[in-house]
Amino acid sequence: MNLNERSVRVNNHLFIQEIKRMFNEKGKKSVTFVVRGFSMRPFIEHERDKVILVPPRRPKVGDVVLAEIAKKRYALHRVIKIDGDRFIMQGDGNPTRLTETFTMEDVVGIAEAFVRKGKVVPVTSRKWRYYSTAWRLLKPMRRILLAIYRRI
Amino acid sequence: MKVKNGFEMQNVCGEHIIVPAGIENVDYSKIISMNPTAAYLWEKVAAMEEFTIDEMVQLLLDEYEVTEDVAREDCKLIVERWAEIGLIED
Repeated sequence: MNLNERSVRVNNHLFIQEIKRMFNEKGKKSVTFVVRGFSMRPFIEHERDKVILVPPRRPKVGDVVLAEIAKKRYALHRVIKIDGDRFIMQGDGNPTRLTETFTMEDVVGIAEAFVRKGKVVPVTSRKWRYYSTAWRLLKPMRRILLAIYRRI
Repeated sequence: MKVKNGFEMQNVCGEHIIVPAGIENVDYSKIISMNPTAAYLWEKVAAMEEFTIDEMVQLLLDEYEVTEDVAREDCKLIVERWAEIGLIED
């Protein structure tokens, strides 16, 4: 019998159905999971950090949203623009020309906090707000900053 | 021994996981997962008012091709672990 700690990697689509079920049927107020991927660098790191997600509401600019961006394809990115019913988001660590569009029905959940290097950072915290502002202001230099980050 | 109240077993992407029913946050980064044998035992003992190692051993022998000694060792181990993580109580 396996009594040890291990990590299990699950299919994104199936896992997201599970999150939806927790919110809709089980009435859970939040779910926590380890993030995968490099698109939210430098703040959020692949398989090191976690996100705490709350059920869907109308996103605001600056919110980090988990949304279905194409059939069975999902992204946890930052909303950079709202155009009527369409929300445009982008990964902090992605090239600035790369964006995704979604509508309210595509929202799976909204980030309420991150667990970065084991520490909880709520999106309302000063730390997260400073970081967000700095990253937005540094946008023209993003490519070079990310290149430096990858080397350290 | 008995299973503590408030735990539900669910199947998520082929994993048998234990979810605390009353807690508002589900933390998938610290989930309790059981293999099929453990899940089988859990389901049976969770349905019982109380259970003993002897009863668990019998449950294993009913379902699996193992010797009683092996079954007993496994049951002791799993009960120890369940107690450690707070799934069962005396």
